Amino acid sequence: MIVDAHVHIGKSMRLQIDVDGETLVRIADQVGIDRICCTDLTALFYDMREGNRLLFEEMKRFPDRIIGYATIPSTRFGQAILDELERCRNDYGMRGLKMYSTPDCSIAEPATIPILEKCAELGMPVLAHTTPWECEQLLPLVPECKFMIGHSGGQPWAKGDWGRTIMSAERLPNLYLELASSTTDADFLEAAVARLGAQRVIFGTDTPLLDPYSQLAKVCDAPISKADKDLILGGNILRLMGLAK
Amino acid sequence: MIIDVNAFIGKWPYWPIRASSASDVITALREWGIDRAVICSTRSLFVNFEDGNREVEAARVAHSAELEAFACLAPAKELDFGAYQQRGFRGVRIYPQYHSYHPLYVSFVDALCEDAAARGWPVMLPHRSIMNWSVPRLDLDWMIALVERHPTVNWILAGINYLHEYQMAEMLLSRYPTVSVETSCIMGFDAVARLVRDFGASRLLFGSGAPLQNGAAGVSKIVHAGITDTEREAIFEGNARRLLNLR
Repeated sequence: MIVDAHVHIGKSMRLQIDVDGETLVRIADQVGIDRICCTDLTALFYDMREGNRLLFEEMKRFPDRIIGYATIPSTRFGQAILDELERCRNDYGMRGLKMYSTPDCSIAEPATIPILEKCAELGMPVLAHTTPWECEQLLPLVPECKFMIGHSGGQPWAKGDWGRTIMSAERLPNLYLELASSTTDADFLEAAVARLGAQRVIFGTDTPLLDPYSQLAKVCDAPISKADKDLILGGNILRLMGLAK
Repeated sequence: MIIDVNAFIGKWPYWPIRASSASDVITALREWGIDRAVICSTRSLFVNFEDGNREVEAARVAHSAELEAFACLAPAKELDFGAYQQRGFRGVRIYPQYHSYHPLYVSFVDALCEDAAARGWPVMLPHRSIMNWSVPRLDLDWMIALVERHPTVNWILAGINYLHEYQMAEMLLSRYPTVSVETSCIMGFDAVARLVRDFGASRLLFGSGAPLQNGAAGVSKIVHAGITDTEREAIFEGNARRLLNLR
């Protein structure tokens, strides 16, 4: 089974996206992806309650295909975030948390700690658009939280520095590498698997921002075993989300 | 056949890579399904452009079925552009961001462009060498100004990724029929098909950034793009043959 751990749904003028579940499922069908883990853009950049509710509606339309991330626009909403996480997990059946960090509004701050603790309590892995430097600040404080660094550092604010990301993950056993990225450096995936093990690497496409075929080819083409590919392409994210059979 | 207009030989100073010699690069390209590649040496970017050109020239002679060469040029005394063509180079790449010159201020670029236009020589203008956020980029406004200053050059815009970069490429494609785009860093959803719809397949050239970038990912986005097989063939092969005058 192929599971895409990084998919955006909803609307964002900034990212030039306006996409619903039906379109995303159709794309997944074309590419050959069985399940997609979605995060709502309204929740990510505007209002978490509205966005997460919108995603829940899409999850109900495609219960066998769409897995939901609860999503928050910042860490600065205190108890409301913890309540929202409870609601998303218990009422909506969402299986993870998506959060976003920028140089101007970094998640490497004390407000993030209780959020990660709550995710650990609820069994929700965290997917964060973040940097290895921020991971090094946060993760030693919450070792029970399963934390995926979105793009593995292959994003502008992390300078594309997947080498540093691997180094961070070697020291942080709760850090996992999510692969979606504009960066397709040829030897990254092999290095990550060799140094961390395939169980720490997770396939994602960032659809509908990036071309999913290229992202899939990065894994399918890699000179690693089929068992490792199976973990990366779906086994790991299902395990982290408590969905593995 | 797949012809890659943006490949490299040479060492990479940022991290270990699988292939740097010409023969190893050819092996990697084959594994990714790429039959023939237009190479430049990373030595030209990081050490000395002419030393790199000599490496590329030797590689092309030794592997004439698989490799073609672009000369990487930079400001120097008494550059004889015609000599590069006689040595078998099919076009030129310039990397001002690696060679510490401003492409709008040095006379070398104007002389090169005038000569290239007269010869029908393509000039590759990379925004970045590969799609990694750590490598230096060429200012988009400088790229626009260069094309506007020399509109008769057969420009190949390279290293274009998304948003403003993509919009710049669209703008130049719409205004200048001499502009083409190579695909190595175009990673956006439906981006290749959109360029084909808006400007025609004749304006796109397949590039991989191999062996630094994963060639399979580069090939895959063309194979699966929502375009016709005729358009795919043009991007993979026909356009490169025409623009670079390849047999």
